[in-house]
This record gives sequence, structure tokens and C-alpha cells, in this order.
Amino acid sequence: MDWDQVELNPKVVHAVKRANVKTFREVLSLSGPDLQRLTKLSHADVHHLQKTVAAAVQTDPAVTALQLYRGECPFLEQHQKLSLGCPVLDSLLRGGIPLLGIVEIAGESSAGKTQICMQLCLSVQYPRKYGGLEAGAVYICTEDTFPTKRLQQLSSLQHKLRPEVPADVVKSITFCDNIYIEHAGDVDSLNSCISKRVPILLSRGLVRLVVVDSIAALFRCEFEAKDALLRAKHLLAFGATLHSLSHRFKTPIVCVNQVADAVGDFDLVQSNFGLLDKKVLPTLGITWSNQLLIRLMVSRTRFSLQEWLPGLAAQPWHLGSVVRTMEVVFAPHLPQSFCYYTVSIDGVRGVKEEPAS
Amino acid sequence: MMQRDVASFAFAPAVKVRLISAGFLTAKDICDLRPTELSKEAGISQQEALEVLQEVRRGPAEQGAAESRLTALELLEREQALGTVITFCSALDQALGGGIPVGKTTEICGAPGVGKTQLCIQLAVDAQIPGCFGGLGGQAVYIDTEGSFLVERVVDVATAAVQHCTLITKDTEQREALQSFTVETVLSQLFLFRCHDYVELLAQTHLLPDFLSQHPKVRLVVIDSIAFPFRHSFEDLSLRTRLLNGLAQQLTQIASQHSVAVVLTNQMTTRIGQNQSMLVPALGESWGHAATQRLILHWEGKHRFASLYKSPSQREATVPYQITPHGFRDVQLPDPSVTPADPSLTPSLNSRKRPRGEEGDPSDA
Repeated sequence: MDWDQVELNPKVVHAVKRANVKTFREVLSLSGPDLQRLTKLSHADVHHLQKTVAAAVQTDPAVTALQLYRGECPFLEQHQKLSLGCPVLDSLLRGGIPLLGIVEIAGESSAGKTQICMQLCLSVQYPRKYGGLEAGAVYICTEDTFPTKRLQQLSSLQHKLRPEVPADVVKSITFCDNIYIEHAGDVDSLNSCISKRVPILLSRGLVRLVVVDSIAALFRCEFEAKDALLRAKHLLAFGATLHSLSHRFKTPIVCVNQVADAVGDFDLVQSNFGLLDKKVLPTLGITWSNQLLIRLMVSRTRFSLQEWLPGLAAQPWHLGSVVRTMEVVFAPHLPQSFCYYTVSIDGVRGVKEEPAS
Repeated sequence: MMQRDVASFAFAPAVKVRLISAGFLTAKDICDLRPTELSKEAGISQQEALEVLQEVRRGPAEQGAAESRLTALELLEREQALGTVITFCSALDQALGGGIPVGKTTEICGAPGVGKTQLCIQLAVDAQIPGCFGGLGGQAVYIDTEGSFLVERVVDVATAAVQHCTLITKDTEQREALQSFTVETVLSQLFLFRCHDYVELLAQTHLLPDFLSQHPKVRLVVIDSIAFPFRHSFEDLSLRTRLLNGLAQQLTQIASQHSVAVVLTNQMTTRIGQNQSMLVPALGESWGHAATQRLILHWEGKHRFASLYKSPSQREATVPYQITPHGFRDVQLPDPSVTPADPSLTPSLNSRKRPRGEEGDPSDA
């Protein structure tokens, strides 16, 4: 704590130091009368002290929503979004992923979560006018090994997925070089990764996207049912670290979550998300849900690509014949809505058409 | 006033001790002295003596003594004159006795995605509705701790509110008021503060009184959410309780001294009962006493409900609501006898009921 930052009467500073109050946090955490008692200063002095320290802590000036809308606030950038690499998916999200906050992608296995995350890792590397952030990504794997072959395949076919970007721009980006893969096998190594290694990459401007695939694996395994409180504590701390990273470096954080079966009445609690018609619910409970800015759920439908969009299915680059849905469960600026998408050889594409049935 | 004890004044403890041990026990003993005399007698510095004399000589009105007595009727009239901020959901407004009360603190609890931030944004726009439309014509302060304040949503809600007022404009007074009630002015009168942790929130609360004095037109202060910064990094829960209590006190004081409605949002947490788990508001039992009124938003199946749980003046009630592209609204049941109306434009401002057939929203819902 820097007493030079604040303009205070030297007698006040001296009294505060003598009272062993060392940080701004302590000055603000103590009540007026308590501070008076400790420092033996008058009421007016203590009041002035707290206000001066408060002004030193909250340095950003008040901003109006109009200034924010016009993009006049450098510290709260809201217009730039990270594109998903597909115009249909972007329009579901009103432009893409916001730069500040945690976005969760929850879904059953083979729904396409990892595919979407890989596509984001590629999309972030494009110039801003194509919806990217001109930097790489950190991909933290906690479950299986990272599918490097698939990533290479995707990056070699970017020109097919993104025809609107000039070929020379696509060629100039060495996609695979800018994606940093980290492995974390347990909660401790995950925490050390996001508190030590990831900030270094972020502060050097090498990456502007952090993907955690997945958070469920670690938190569900290491904590038994009776350790609910301990798990909640770790989840809260983890979420707080991610939030502070996101805001320090204006970087979106994407977390992949698993789903579990919704079992009878025990999930009356979970039904508080308005997801009553779902057979599966995201794991990790309300503690984790409270930390999220946006929750997306992906799932496989019963529609096969052949039946529904035979024209599309005939094309050589459609893998996996089932159509999937991406649903917005909650977001501050989006209604509950969904769209269909497919996973093809060159990536994930949204589908605008509705099924005939 | 002359009989007032020296010990009851707000001097620094050391100064008080010196005055009392020098024999000055009441205000009368001090007020006729000169600063140099007082400082010599009591053994305090000239500066301190001067401050003491200034304080003692101030009239009772300036000493911040208890306010002059009011009758209960006068209090009631004062309260009603303060007004309320409507929510645009008439069922909820009715349950609240008009809307969110100015001069008091209201807590809004709910699970993620149920609509707390949506309601807060709606209130921040509604506080600005001009008086002739039944609003307060004030400004709003929004303190965001979670990062969920996205300006594009505010634009949606503001546009819908302005459109609604435009559609119900009847007389010249309203037409004139509309000149200064546009989406741009609404955005320009919404002040945003961003707090990333509890220290910043504490700091912001210390700075708020001065800000409100400089901006006397502010009628609403929203803190979204108060739970988020307090739910982690507290090994010592008693410290957290103390900080939250202090914050609650400061906010209650701010609400009444500056005539603003203070709205706080809280998260929900799971409480494990004997054989079932329940969702309860976060931040602990003692926090339950912090706000004057408590509103809990919850799901029942696919429908959303707002329950008024704690209020000194209103009955407990549960009403349905929905979130539309236009904001926080009533749930309108379809009436087959009338031409289908746009269900997202239902609020009755100022109790002026418009026949349903007239409500038309040019834009898509």
C-alpha cells in the first residue's frame, strides 16, 4: 500500500501507521468508530481518511451508459465480441462472446463442445474486423489428451469455413503455433496453471482466450458428496480467479461443463433454472452457475442430416450425421433461444433451416 | 445546550480526556473561553482548542442533533411524497404498493437467469420516466460487481420504455416531456460504476454520498450484485458479517438521506435439509435483516414468479412475470374476446388503463 498515492495530513498518516493499520483494505474494512479508537483521530479526520483512501482504490471515474454505448470507455469495452466463426451461431449470441466474463458450454459427450472450443481458438486469431482478437488461446485440458490432429485438420481448412476472410489473411496466420495447450490433472494443478502460467501468457499479449475443458471432471472427482462445502469453496475461489483474469486482460473465458441426468425430485432445486423439460442438467450446482455470465447448452437431436438437409449432407465435409442444437439458457442480453448446428470436416456451422417434421 | 456533557461531543478521545481531567465537564464551562486560554488550561494544541470551541458554539440545528419532532401523519405524507420506481409489471407494482420505494432498501434474490439483472435494468430505465407519465423523472446509479451490465440490453429496455410512453402520450405536457425522454437521454442519465472485489465496493459506498450530493437528481441506486464480491476470499466469516452489516447500515442511511431507492441483488445458495435441499438467499441469516424489503424471484416449471417475502407495509404476495425483448413485464393471459395484443406492452403507468386493442408495438416482439 502506497501512502504517497493519497494526500493526507502527515499527522493522520502517522496515527494510522502507529495503529498498525497497513493496507487500504484495512482502512476501509474498519468502521468509523473502530478506526477512531485505534488511531485516536477525530471523527472528521477518520471520515476524511476513509474517503481519501476510497478515492485511491476506486480510480475509474463514473461512466454513463451513453459513453459505454459510444465506445468511449477504454476500461469497459462492450462492443467488441469474439466471433464463433459462423454467422448463424454469432447471430444467436448477438455478435459472439463478450470479452469480459465466463461463458459455459455444457452438454453431453459428442455434442460438439470440444469442436466449438477449438473453433474459438482459431477464430480468436483473426484480425478484429473479422471478429477475432489478434492473439492466440490457452487450452487447458483436464480430461482426455488434446486432439492435435483434429486441430491441424481444422486449421488447414479455415479458408473453407471462413470464405469472407481474404485468403492471404488466412494464410498469414500460423494457427497451431498460437494455441498453448496445458494439462491439469487435479484441482491444485489447475489452480497453479491459472494463477501462474496463464497470466504470463496473457500479460505478454500472446493469448486473448482461455478455454478450460472441462471443469466438471476435476471438481466432481476430487470431492465426494459429503464435501459439498469444501467443493463450493474451491469453486468460488476458482471462479474468482477466472473473473479477475478476464477483467485484468479483457479476455473471454470459456469453460466446458458436463451434464448429469436429472433425477426425480432431488432436482427440484435445479429446476430453478427453468430447465424442467430437460433430461440432463449441467453439473456443479448453483455455486458454479452463479459465477457465469452466459450458459450455453449443446445437445444432439434425433434429426439425422441425411433426412433433414439432404443437400447439405451430400457435401463431402459433413462428419457425424446428427444435427445438434445450441441453446442459450441464460445471458444478460439474450432471450432463451436456440439454433441448430452441424459438425463438419472444416468446423462447426450453424444451420438456419428448420426441420420439416 | 449549555448543560451538555463534554464527553458527548465528537472530539478525538485524547482531547476529551484532557478536557475532562482539566475540569471542563459541560459545554458551559468551555464556550466562553478563548482558544489560547483553553489550550493552556487543558494542555491541548491551539488547533485542537479552536476546533473544540467551534463545535461547542454551534447551534443545536447544526450539531446534527436529532431531527425536530414529526407526527406520524407527517412521516406518512413524507414517505408517500417520495414516490416509487415502477417495475413495468403491474402485478408486481401492485404487490409492492406502487413500485420499489424511494428512501428504503430493497433486496432482490434469485437463481441465475431468473431475471434479477433484467429487473435492475428495467428499474434503472423506469426511474427516469417523466413525472407526467407517472415516473420520477430522476437519474440512476448502477454499481455492477458481476460484469452483467451489457449496454445493448439497456438500449432494448430503454427503447421499449420510450416507445411505450410515445404511444400513450395524450396531452401537450406529455408531448413536451417526451422531448427530453429519449433513448439517448436515458443512457446519458444512467451512471455506471464497476467494482471488482469487496474492497472496491466498500470504497464505492464511501464515495457514494458525495456523488449523490453532486447529482441530486439520482433517485435509484442499484448494486448488482452485493453477494458476488462477498462469497469468496473470506476465511473469517465474522469479518464478512461485520462488513455486510456496516454496508447495510451505510446504504440504509444513504437511501433516506438522499431520497434514493437502493436495490441490492443477492444470489441463492443451497441449504441441505434433513432429506431435501432448498434454495435460500446467500450471505447468511443475519443478512436477512439488512434490507427493508425482500423480493425473491424463482421458477416454477417454465414460469417465473416474484414473491414479496419481507415488507413492513405490504402483505406477502406472489405474482407471475416474464422477461421479454422489451424488458420486465406482466404475464398477459390471452383474452379471446379482444383482438390479440402484444403481450409485452402491458404496464399501466399512473393507473391509466388503456383498452387492450390500442396497444400496438410496431417492432417485432
